[in-house]
Amino acid sequence: MLPLLLGPSVLLIAVFVIAPAVYGIYLGFTNTQLTGFAARDPDFVGLDNYQNLLTSDEFLGSLGHTAQFVFFSAIIGQTILGMAAALLLRKKWLRGKGLFGAAILLPMVVPEVVASLTWASVLSPRDEGTFNRLIGLFGGASAAPLQEAPMLSIIIVNIWRGIALAMIMFQAALEDVPDELIEAARVDGAGAMRVFRYVTLPLIRGPVFLYLLLTTITTVGVFGLVYFLTQGGPGSATQLTSIYIYQHAFQYSQIGLGSAASVILLALLLVLGLTYVRLSKVEV
Amino acid sequence: MQRNRVFPAVTAAALAVGMLAACSDSDDGTSGPVTIKLLEYQQARADVVEKLIPRFESAMAEQGKDIQVELVTDPLTDDQFRTKITQQFHSGTAPDVVDMGGSHVTGFAGAGYLLQLDEYLNEWPTWEKYYSAVKQKAEQVDGHYYSLPHEASVQSLFYRKDVLEEMGIDTSQPQTWDELIGRLKKVTAETGKPSIVIPAGTAWGAGTWSEGFLPIVAGTDSTFYDREAGKWTLESDGLSATFDLYAELTKAGLLPTQALLNPNPWEPTKYKQFPEGTLPVAAQGTWGWRYDWGPNGAAPIKNVKDKVATWNYPALTPGGEPYSISGGGYNYGVNAETENPDAAVELVKWLSSDKAAAEQLTAIGAAAPHPGISDVEPYKSQPTLLDAEAKLEDSIVAPEGDGNTRVSQAVQSATESILLGKADGAEAASAFAQDAAELLGENLVAK
Amino acid sequence: MATAATLEKSTATVRKPHRRMSRVMAVRQAMQYVLIVLLALFCLVPFAWMVLSAVDAQAGPTVQSPEFTLDNFVRFFTKADTPRLLANSLLISVSATALNLACGIFGAYALSRIRFRGRKTFMFSILLIRVIPPPATIVALYLMMVKMSLDNSYLGLILVEAAAALPVTLWLLKGAIDAIPFELEEAAWMDGSTRFGAIRKIVFPLVGPGLGAAALIAFMAVWGDFLTPLVLLQSPDLYPLSIGLFRAFTAFNQVDWGVLAASAVIYMTPPAILYGFLRRYLFRASIGSAVKG
Repeated sequence: MLPLLLGPSVLLIAVFVIAPAVYGIYLGFTNTQLTGFAARDPDFVGLDNYQNLLTSDEFLGSLGHTAQFVFFSAIIGQTILGMAAALLLRKKWLRGKGLFGAAILLPMVVPEVVASLTWASVLSPRDEGTFNRLIGLFGGASAAPLQEAPMLSIIIVNIWRGIALAMIMFQAALEDVPDELIEAARVDGAGAMRVFRYVTLPLIRGPVFLYLLLTTITTVGVFGLVYFLTQGGPGSATQLTSIYIYQHAFQYSQIGLGSAASVILLALLLVLGLTYVRLSKVEV
Repeated sequence: MQRNRVFPAVTAAALAVGMLAACSDSDDGTSGPVTIKLLEYQQARADVVEKLIPRFESAMAEQGKDIQVELVTDPLTDDQFRTKITQQFHSGTAPDVVDMGGSHVTGFAGAGYLLQLDEYLNEWPTWEKYYSAVKQKAEQVDGHYYSLPHEASVQSLFYRKDVLEEMGIDTSQPQTWDELIGRLKKVTAETGKPSIVIPAGTAWGAGTWSEGFLPIVAGTDSTFYDREAGKWTLESDGLSATFDLYAELTKAGLLPTQALLNPNPWEPTKYKQFPEGTLPVAAQGTWGWRYDWGPNGAAPIKNVKDKVATWNYPALTPGGEPYSISGGGYNYGVNAETENPDAAVELVKWLSSDKAAAEQLTAIGAAAPHPGISDVEPYKSQPTLLDAEAKLEDSIVAPEGDGNTRVSQAVQSATESILLGKADGAEAASAFAQDAAELLGENLVAK
Repeated sequence: MATAATLEKSTATVRKPHRRMSRVMAVRQAMQYVLIVLLALFCLVPFAWMVLSAVDAQAGPTVQSPEFTLDNFVRFFTKADTPRLLANSLLISVSATALNLACGIFGAYALSRIRFRGRKTFMFSILLIRVIPPPATIVALYLMMVKMSLDNSYLGLILVEAAAALPVTLWLLKGAIDAIPFELEEAAWMDGSTRFGAIRKIVFPLVGPGLGAAALIAFMAVWGDFLTPLVLLQSPDLYPLSIGLFRAFTAFNQVDWGVLAASAVIYMTPPAILYGFLRRYLFRASIGSAVKG
């Protein structure tokens, strides 16, 4: 009975998720390539790839870019704006909740390629780009955001895409905060910030922390959104580790090196993931 | 090379029938009905080849050979092409014949993806007549040929004669880079805009190497790649001088750095500003005459013959002479796993000869790789192309070998750091040496 | 404890007259309206180019007031290659979702109803699998797919996509099945149903909303995926819309902006509509199991 029911799921996950992860570990110890003379018979090279990576400015730089990207877009930006949206949409007096909610959800619902495409037009260096038209209204000179402030640009794009998820998570958490408690504090004269800080936040601390872990993990995996807009450039200014892996493994056909980089990324994420699973106390 | 698929494409069934039939009498290879898949990744090339295919098929039919050609058109940038075709070769799904830039051949030949063509070429009378510069460029490190070059190209500095003359700037052949930089500075001083585009940085991809860096460094005395030893020399006076040149051009505001850092850097520069006349000098291969600026090109310039002219590259190191350099021409590679090597070779030989070649060369803008085409229309009436062909015999050939895509990669990042203002020439040169050595591994680097 | 004390203190000292507070409240409400409007605009404005250009006969890469036409949509459906992109996207997404749900519902049933050794570990493992980002396994996956001759095929991509979305589906559906009283099934057995018969009669109908949520999440993940088809597919005949759009955007010479914008509108419509329908179930389900959708 059990194998019959669970078997197909286990098989699919084992073959297409677990096996590649394991095979990747093996490949990371080889100099597998897809072109050049070395492609004919790959050799076992021990820890060479890891040694190269950990002394390579480019790879370490990509880890740094990823950290920056995660910290500013996911941990700071999405959290603050998502929390603001969740709190605002809770107000009883607010009209048009449905419309506001839908507007904020849209960036999350559309496929990532569409998200990138829309932002390509916003950030266009031409005078007619949406961003340049907007700053033009305030008398600003045209800019080329993707060249002049590439990291900031992709951070803003990713904040835009992720507000909705933060909002949803926080809305759910806020449902557990009784309105009476907040109203009581307000009636007693506490300011909104104080209420949030001393009443609301302590009650939703757990879900917020879980959200932070979750968004960190998913943001590390962002590839298409950024690759579409910048392909990692200019220079390597927006080369996230995910883009580093793709470029080295496929564009430069250094499968071994790319696999080793994947393993490093995987190891970092597993640490975060184990923390997440332990803390989330999900019922099994 | 055909594999089972659960959802076969509509054509696959028909193809499989053809294959089976081909296999059954494959002893003589070319007599049965045979289908050859040919990949073109530039639209202009696909357009001209598409018209030639029926003529090839009927020419073969006259010889009693039943060869059908299926053209696969897939417009891609150089980097997209390399990524994709590498995967196809690796998985055994690549087409029988692939038309590609010469610098791609090395990596694929090394990995064993391409058929060695020596025997076929030796039996083909035209091959003997090929210009030595073209042959040399196509010969791989192991001394064998894995591709048939079907066009030649001369890399030069294209300039807007009309624009420069109007500004009162000397248009005679500059002898040294210093002389040229003097003129460019005058242009930039007048327009307030950059005045020369040389492919550089990562966004231009492989072009940064083959159209930008290699032609300049090859004109210096320093050995870059030693064919005999099969090793790269990563530190030399020539390399330092080349990186210094990029730094000087960047610092003086002569290179369009902002555009070069963008995705698709050729669009604002070669397709917009050069045709407008606002960026009057461009490092460019012969195909500029047709593919880029010809009447049906990407960004046509009216009366391009009158408005545009070319200089040879000026000397970079002391005592050098101006030179032209050959390279950039396309080659046909035959898949090593093709079921029908004979038919595939028939196709590429036919496409590289006579009328078929003349039409392609004219459409793309390339010089003939052998003297047999200069009296065939429409090539015959293309003075700019004939002129390039005449330069071939005296042009320099830049040696390249295993690992060239890695060296190219290191050049891209080193020049990018110059464009970004993060490194001067010396810093870029040493970053390049370190980077390239890391990527190449010990075996390919001269000590 | 400290917070409670501070709060008490502040409530004791800061007590304002009621009337003044309501004026302050009005200002505050106005400010909050401004805030939410700005937030909504930030979310919507980037779509301006796409929406305007899709109906613009002279569409370019940036926003401009359109010269109205539906021609871009007509051309999308009549051009040689674009309808195929849509068909591929539908084929891949629907098949992968179906396979995913078919495996998922039986798997989830087992996880919910059968107490076996290692069940807990298994549940935690698949939760952990969720943290593996696709870029970290894509390289090895590609090589494996080549070895299994599953690269560059619909089947290979469908299998990979179905598997990638399985952990979420299993979690969601397990939660949904847990909520169905086991007694109902037992009652069905009494009436002579087989175990599978009981699943069909009792579990399937009652698991509906959970199944809908799982289907939506799986469908949207496959529909929007970019990296996997980018790496696994090489034939333009097989490309889904995500790759088609990317290729059109980076086209070497010229980009047909109008058709590109129309394609983007067509591409984002199915998930947007589905999301609108299933939103309510989705929130409940995805939050209940603490996984991201």
